[in-house]
Amino acid sequence: MPSHELAGRHLLNRRAFLNHAATGLSGIALSMLLAEQGLLLAQSPEGTVSGKSPLRPMIEPQHPFAARAPHFPAPAKRVVVIFCSGACSHLDTFDYKPELIHRHGMPLPGADKLITFQGEQGNITRSPWQFRPRGECAKMTSDLLPELGALADDICFLHSLKGKTNTHGPGENFMSTGSTLDGFPSAGAWTSYALGTENENLPAYVAIPDPRGTPQNSVNNWGPGFLPAAYQGTDFNTSKPIRNLARPEGISTASDDQARSFLKRLNERHLEKFPEDSELAARISSYELAARMQLSIPEVSELASESATTLKMYGADDAENPLRAAYAKNCLLARRLLERGVRFVQLFNGAYQTGGEGVSNWDGHKSIEEQYNLHGPVLDQPTAALVRDLKQRGLLRDTLVVFCTEFGRMPTFQKGASGRDHNPEGFTCWLAGAGVKAPFSYGATDEFGYRAVENIVTVHDFHATILHLLGLDHERLTYYHNGLERRLTDVEGHVVRDVLA
Amino acid sequence: MPKLIRWLSVGCWIVGALSVQEASASDGVDYATQVGPLLQAKCFDCHGADAQESHLRLDQRASLLAGGDSGEPAILPGNAEQSHLIQLVSGQQAGKFMPPDEADRLTAEEIELLRDWIDQGAVTPDADQPNTADTIVRPSHWSFQPLQGVVPPTIDANWGANPIDAYVLQGLRQHGLTPNPPATRAELIRRMYLDLLGVPPTPEAVQAFAVDERPNAMARLINKLLADPRYGERWASYWLDLVRFAETNGFETNRERPRAWPYRDYVIRSLNDDKPYDQFLMEQLAGDSLGAPEATAYLVAGPYDLVKSPDVNLTLMQRQNELDDMLGTTSTAFLGLTVGCARCHNHKFDPIRQTDYYALQAIFAGVQHGERSLPLAEPQLQEITRLEARAKELRTQLHPFLKHAQRSRASVNPRGNEEDFAPLPARYIRFTVLATNSSEPCLDELEVYSGTTNVALASAGAKAKCSSALPGYSIHRLEHVHDGLHGNSHSWISNEAGAGWVQIELPQEASIQHIVWSRDREGQFEDRLPTEYRIEVAVEPGQWTEVASSADRMPYAEDGPAEPEYDFERLPSNQATVGRVLLKDLQECQRYIEELRAAGNVYAGAFEQPGPTHRLFRGEPREPREAVAPGTIASLGKLSLADDAPEQQRRLALAQWIASPENPLTARVMANRIWQFHFGKGIVSTPNDFGLAGARPTHPELLDWLASELRENHWSLKHLHRLILTSATYQQSSRPSKEAHTVDAATEWWWRFPPRRLDAEPIRDSILTVSGVLDPTMYGPGFSAFEVELENVRHYFPKKTYGPADWRRMVYMTKVRLERESVFGVFDCPDAASSVPRRNRSTTPLQALNLFNSPFILQQAELFAARLERECGEDQAKQVTRAYWLCFGRAPNGDELTESREFIATAGLNAFCRAMLNSNELVFLQ
Repeated sequence: MPSHELAGRHLLNRRAFLNHAATGLSGIALSMLLAEQGLLLAQSPEGTVSGKSPLRPMIEPQHPFAARAPHFPAPAKRVVVIFCSGACSHLDTFDYKPELIHRHGMPLPGADKLITFQGEQGNITRSPWQFRPRGECAKMTSDLLPELGALADDICFLHSLKGKTNTHGPGENFMSTGSTLDGFPSAGAWTSYALGTENENLPAYVAIPDPRGTPQNSVNNWGPGFLPAAYQGTDFNTSKPIRNLARPEGISTASDDQARSFLKRLNERHLEKFPEDSELAARISSYELAARMQLSIPEVSELASESATTLKMYGADDAENPLRAAYAKNCLLARRLLERGVRFVQLFNGAYQTGGEGVSNWDGHKSIEEQYNLHGPVLDQPTAALVRDLKQRGLLRDTLVVFCTEFGRMPTFQKGASGRDHNPEGFTCWLAGAGVKAPFSYGATDEFGYRAVENIVTVHDFHATILHLLGLDHERLTYYHNGLERRLTDVEGHVVRDVLA
Repeated sequence: MPKLIRWLSVGCWIVGALSVQEASASDGVDYATQVGPLLQAKCFDCHGADAQESHLRLDQRASLLAGGDSGEPAILPGNAEQSHLIQLVSGQQAGKFMPPDEADRLTAEEIELLRDWIDQGAVTPDADQPNTADTIVRPSHWSFQPLQGVVPPTIDANWGANPIDAYVLQGLRQHGLTPNPPATRAELIRRMYLDLLGVPPTPEAVQAFAVDERPNAMARLINKLLADPRYGERWASYWLDLVRFAETNGFETNRERPRAWPYRDYVIRSLNDDKPYDQFLMEQLAGDSLGAPEATAYLVAGPYDLVKSPDVNLTLMQRQNELDDMLGTTSTAFLGLTVGCARCHNHKFDPIRQTDYYALQAIFAGVQHGERSLPLAEPQLQEITRLEARAKELRTQLHPFLKHAQRSRASVNPRGNEEDFAPLPARYIRFTVLATNSSEPCLDELEVYSGTTNVALASAGAKAKCSSALPGYSIHRLEHVHDGLHGNSHSWISNEAGAGWVQIELPQEASIQHIVWSRDREGQFEDRLPTEYRIEVAVEPGQWTEVASSADRMPYAEDGPAEPEYDFERLPSNQATVGRVLLKDLQECQRYIEELRAAGNVYAGAFEQPGPTHRLFRGEPREPREAVAPGTIASLGKLSLADDAPEQQRRLALAQWIASPENPLTARVMANRIWQFHFGKGIVSTPNDFGLAGARPTHPELLDWLASELRENHWSLKHLHRLILTSATYQQSSRPSKEAHTVDAATEWWWRFPPRRLDAEPIRDSILTVSGVLDPTMYGPGFSAFEVELENVRHYFPKKTYGPADWRRMVYMTKVRLERESVFGVFDCPDAASSVPRRNRSTTPLQALNLFNSPFILQQAELFAARLERECGEDQAKQVTRAYWLCFGRAPNGDELTESREFIATAGLNAFCRAMLNSNELVFLQ
């Protein structure tokens, strides 16, 4: 039975449902989490800002990650988000603006007194990279990312994103969680809360940090916010395994297994005294799940079984550029996770560690040409290979690929520098795969690429669209916290229907 | 000046009124024949007597002036241009063109008519009637009503110890339920220890209690536990969650707040002292006026975005977010109201208008993040004076040993530098920067002392001038150099690389002898430091005398401030020995002075008199509307503060209103919290929301009775604890009952004590108690769970090895915002981004992995095993029995003993201990 039907019935007759659910271990009493969310709060449309009643996932405490049906049938079963940390310039990648070439070296009209994040503006500066038509659709993209550009026929570009902040931390928060402030659940947390996962032996939601380290706002990008901790992203990559996953050194497999069995015996004996207590039973299950993860996560992280052709396609064998090889391995890991049914994968390109501003991420303030010439090749081929690989394996049909960053950059160079300052007024993100129209370009910035002017897509709209593609109504996927039925989209957001296939 | 403004505005109003009369006499717009019919035709269907979409009603003057959900008045008489109604009907509000149906839109002439009507004063037929929007109508919602003078029901039953049980039994009977039998003594003592103290009882305590035959054994136990200082350590966690306390700033830089811990100590002490709750909350809002200055750390316990920009929009929004955090936390934590919704428009559910939000914002408008030097106690001050004199003496004695005779003083220090000279008269003091370690120089404060008084303060009448100031940054203005506030956010930066000067003019000539200056007294920034400088003074303009300079200081070294160098080798050995002793004395002296001084700094916020607060249209800082006086939620009360009320008075007035016995929310909200922390769930299950969207109480009369008990017993929290702990409801067994489950699986009617997994802190503290290594040291700075990489953006790497310094109670673990501790954080520890009234309780495989495999737990298992061997020798039966008593407060039964011995025989004692530390029985409260 789809979860929303259960939820609907729950709304009609909560007590009857509870009684039904609570009649024994097989029925599974509801966890506190559900009891609170389901029983006690605004269940009526009047109680919510959107005027729509919440649809709550039916979560069994012993199987918090069990696959749950979406609100409505949908094309996307899983998502991979490619997040370029540091704010990747739209003007040097996918948003072609001939006016920047024509007016190169001239002041940006109306910007003489404009103060952006780091201060005053210099003149309009053309992209150091040539744009040329790519794909059968002849989309103009830059030479910085030729491989990604070559995928133009599979991509739906959104050129009119608009943010709310010009600072990295809040910008990452906004793109990842829908709030510029810390402490809100990430899109992946909302998704795994709503849908669980198709492979309970792996985490429902994996964040793959860049080989160089974490993004600027670090763990908040995959945090659970006020959702239960179960729904946070588990972060690991090919060079940094999950902490405490491996059997501890010095303890043999046999001894480890014995200890686990003995613990199980202890807990089962204890459970006999509390036969109706699902929380105790859930904790016993969690040790079993942990044991299965100890096998399944090393398996998924082990790339040795991949063919030389595949490794080459991703650039994972690149001996010249170990950074590119390391990121490529993360891309490959992303595919392997998606293939095995992980619901939400967040793949980061760029980190704040080891250098900060522009050195190890896309924050090109000082000398964008030099910095992006290092970052471009790291991102380009491996990411493009990921999309191609998903496509050739048939996964792109029901996998949504999201390419995003915290905000865009200015059409001008900063006064006294050879790079671009932050610009949340207009930037580009793209979607590919399940349920998305492609090739397609939606929305536009002005002739300089400064402000989104046509078919503006707010970050809330972007999130509403992603949830919609997963079969989730962004106004009904809510969680009560401090007085409000909270949503990924706050009190805003519209599905951008024009980009749906 | 304020008087003049008020008089002028009255004048304008008179002129306006006159012109309205004139107009209506000649070509004025008539409401009855022109405006009324127009509004009737176009608007009243949705905004009239029958329907009020967005709570907007246009057929009454009062509601026209008050507006609807947007918080915007629909009309501003005399000002059509700014009137929301005009903006809506003329399509100036994106996405809100009114009327919504294009066919109904107003013609240009009709809009013009409305404009004229408003510009002429918006005369309406009911203009003379009293403005009902001004009168307080207490909303009918249950939590806004005064506490009911409830009388506990008399229940004909032999169950129950106090009125709590009468209320509970009433509810149980109504639902055909019966209470569970009482828990055993062993179960109860374990439950009470874990609940009140957050650690399990010792085996000896369990055994002694089991055989305590005295009739008042239970009361004695409860009294003992309530007097145990570990109570404050456990319950402080709940409060710290609620007030989003952490010891880093959050956001991307997530820098440390090394002086935030005194607030934690304040909370622990207050709870242990059973400080009356009204006093406790008042001190946190206005402790600087109530003899508890460290308590105001509450105000700034939340996140702070350290990343500043010359972009004024960003700066304004950051400030709005800071204030939102303060007022939002205050309303949810103390009042159980979610005022934050009214930042952009009137509250959708509760009687909170947008103006109320900004009235509350004006209360906090003068509160800034940062450390404050709290007054040192007299003994410490005397000690510092004595030590400084001694240090001076030692320096003189060390003079002959100087390596470079000209460099007798330490190099400049970003955190602060002192200049001493013979007293001389001065009117002007000039600080000239000759070189910096980078960029334009920055000074956060320049203090000039006449005796012990800083005469350079603007508030003392001094004036400042400078060569230049970096444009575009409100946090780097000249006035900050003598505003008494410290830190980068209150500093002056010149607009000249490596140069610039700042000058103080005293209100009158004074004899000065001491100057203190710093780059960033909060220690966050070390760049822009003046490394070469001179300080001159003058009585008459231009007649400068140099009193201090960098010439006699050690050169600035990149790796930190340098002390003067001494060379003892070139002197005979006996003299060298003397020199070395002198130097050691000096160093100790200096360290001690620093320690004493630092004890006075607390991250408790800095206060300054704020300018006017404005209501912001849609919460947009760039769209200020009318000024709003400091106040509270108008439908619930009034503070009677002037628009320009002194900063401290604002906070105090709000504190008094919240703590007033008449406030219907304060006692109810707190009584509910206490109940919730004992039982895992409140009588109101939405503890931070007692508004219309929140849950109704399951036992409204019980809640009111508990709230009255709290209010009428000196707001004593321990009084409520005692009532709850002695109740038969609390002392029920937690065992399940098939019959009761069928009716009430969620234990809404309390037919048992609801069992639940412990929070992270009691789990960790229990493990340390069982292994026997818990360090009970109370108070003071915490211990870190991380190795911190000190980049601009801090990175927190979990520690890999642990020692005794890590084995204090978890409440003392330095709380890092966002980053969760690597073993226990995943047990639903809050990230301290916002108020958490009750933690989630999830069960995840990562928790299992952490408890089963982490080096922390494996080490604890070894320590536990070592303890068992130490206490029981090689006797396995004894070891197992002891382990059961330590972990579960009971002996193993025969099967358990046998199985355990068999397991130890094959897998070893360490493995047995590892399993015990992972067991459900250890980590559940039952």
